[in-house]
Amino acid sequence: MKRAFLGLLGAAIFMFFFSFMLVPLYNVFCEVTGLNGKIYGPSDFFKSQKEQFNRDVNVRFLSQVNESAPVTFYPSSESMTVETDKVSRTTYVAKNNTNKNLILTIIPSVSPGLAAEQVKKIQCFCFEEQALGPYEEQEWPIRFYVDSELSKNVNNIYLSYTLFENNRTETIAMQHGN
Amino acid sequence: MSAVVEHHDHDHGPKKGLTRWLFTTNHKDIGTLYLWFSFLMFLTGGAMAMGIRAELFEPGLQLLDPIKYNQLVTMHGLIMIFGGVMPAFVGLANWLIPMQIGAPDMALPRMNNLSFWLLPSAFTILLSTAFMEGGMPGFGWTFYAPLSTNYPNIAYFVFAIHIMGISSIMGSINVIVTIMNMRAPGITLMKMPLFVWSWLITAYLLIAVMPVLAGAVTMLLMDAYFGTSFFDAAGGGDPVLFQHIFWFFGHPEVYIMILPAFGITSHIISTFSRKPLFGHASMVYAMVSIAVLSFVVWAHHMFTVGMPLVAELFFMWATMLIAIPTGVKVFNWVATIFKGSITYETPMLFAIAFVVLFTIGGFSGLMLAITPADFQYHDTYFVVAHFHYVLVPGAVFSIMAAVYYWLPKWTGNMYDETMGKLHFWLSFIGVNVTFFPQHFVGLAGMPRRYADYALQFAEWNAISSIGAFLFGASQLLFLYIVVKSVFAGKKATAQVWDGARGLEWTVASPAPYHTFEIPPKITKSTKV
Repeated sequence: MKRAFLGLLGAAIFMFFFSFMLVPLYNVFCEVTGLNGKIYGPSDFFKSQKEQFNRDVNVRFLSQVNESAPVTFYPSSESMTVETDKVSRTTYVAKNNTNKNLILTIIPSVSPGLAAEQVKKIQCFCFEEQALGPYEEQEWPIRFYVDSELSKNVNNIYLSYTLFENNRTETIAMQHGN
Repeated sequence: MSAVVEHHDHDHGPKKGLTRWLFTTNHKDIGTLYLWFSFLMFLTGGAMAMGIRAELFEPGLQLLDPIKYNQLVTMHGLIMIFGGVMPAFVGLANWLIPMQIGAPDMALPRMNNLSFWLLPSAFTILLSTAFMEGGMPGFGWTFYAPLSTNYPNIAYFVFAIHIMGISSIMGSINVIVTIMNMRAPGITLMKMPLFVWSWLITAYLLIAVMPVLAGAVTMLLMDAYFGTSFFDAAGGGDPVLFQHIFWFFGHPEVYIMILPAFGITSHIISTFSRKPLFGHASMVYAMVSIAVLSFVVWAHHMFTVGMPLVAELFFMWATMLIAIPTGVKVFNWVATIFKGSITYETPMLFAIAFVVLFTIGGFSGLMLAITPADFQYHDTYFVVAHFHYVLVPGAVFSIMAAVYYWLPKWTGNMYDETMGKLHFWLSFIGVNVTFFPQHFVGLAGMPRRYADYALQFAEWNAISSIGAFLFGASQLLFLYIVVKSVFAGKKATAQVWDGARGLEWTVASPAPYHTFEIPPKITKSTKV
């Protein structure tokens, strides 16, 4: 009876920690499968150079500002046609509408989600936090290419960026003299 | 008492006064406490539902502002699920499991006392937010982050859920240890009554998922107060992750609220058809398969979050698969009724209504499982109609059926049959008038969780509100019938119902304070 009790109690405690294990599991799962449009970090361009039949893909750029952020944020061109395996460059424009220093985090997403793995970013403002001084306007570059392994069914890719004001690191950044 | 006291030289009756209830370790006392507590919560959550339906009686804002409306919707859901349905089933488990397996009490009686007394404190914490600045939680019972992390008073909500979770887990451990160790000799697992079986499976589900709920609210608390970003995209978290974790708990949770109902219905239908249950073993296997499948269907609650096609197909098919074991159960009940010599006492009326109306709820569930169709139905009143059909005439009707069925055993008095039937018909009509029109407005596109709606939905909403008032008022009749049977009524025999089988009908009515101190002899002819 005591063994049954302890076993069941152990199972309950295990399930509590299992719920926390779901967090890294979910991220690993999304990263491996490319689900949920997640892309992590810069990609190594030269490693994946292959002889492939190149084709044109339409890439559209979207921007969103999370409700509380006092920033104007938009892509400088709304769409472009790119050849697979060829590096392209575009920019996003961000303007601080306040008289304060802002630290911003930009979260990327790719749609359709299953194409996320084939969108390779070499340079992106989403890789790290961005800082804007009072009323400052900046142009942020992205350099990327679309891998030719992209599924034949995909002809349009949407790159979406959501901008968040990062209150948490503001004080830390200020201490470093922004 | 004297019926079972054989060689005792002192009386083991209950203590007198308030301390009897505070310190009791008796499974019958604790069962009674659970049942009264859940009835109190049922009336509290019901009063909130009346407020919701009063606001929705006509379009526009009359009684509540949208924030208060959202708070009532949220609290209605939380109270009915965690305070109404779940404690009622635990109360029934406490009363019935020891008596049905021939055990003297639950295996861990002091923990049993603690599991109950945690609940009033949890709900005091949760309801106390009503008197605070910022008010009650208003983010829906599903508390999707990051909406919930930005709400005031969220810590009270989180701690209340923690305490309820601890109570449920302790109750479940108690149920499993009791069933595994304290069955009278001769009651093998496959001979066990179905209510006991349904609770054994439910208890395992609870142990598997209540800790996940505790983890989810802990992450919420950390996001809100300790600067983590589990669900906050700005810090690299993911709001969709919250939905996955929540529904990994949430889907088994809905089966936690229906499996004991399956057990109850099996007993009652067999009794009033005066036939043994058709397909006892297949009923057990069906419940086990439903429990196992409940872990692989959670994402059907989130078809519209943007999952890849493969995932949508998997969750659609897995969900539809559940219809098979559920269908086995429904057909077994029908086959039990078939050619039985049926009488329609109140418990039987509730049980038949359960089978019919639960099946309607099951069918609308199948419609919702079709992914492309779900994009249309998602977050409309069709969903509200669906889950109220499986929870109100499903879970709640089964609890009422159980109360009428075992009440004579608990109180020693028969309830008033005419009043019971009146209560049934008022509830039956009320529930259908309330929730059936919600299918129509849902299919026409009326969204959930708004205090106001477009004019085209006005008629059906008015009808729905009238049904809700009827259903709500008729529950006061239920209270009256139960209280009356506690104090007066025709004396019940030990057998109570002539077709009833099971060890609980071999002890006197009312059941003595201590039963089966000596395990009963189970022979081939004993009807377990």
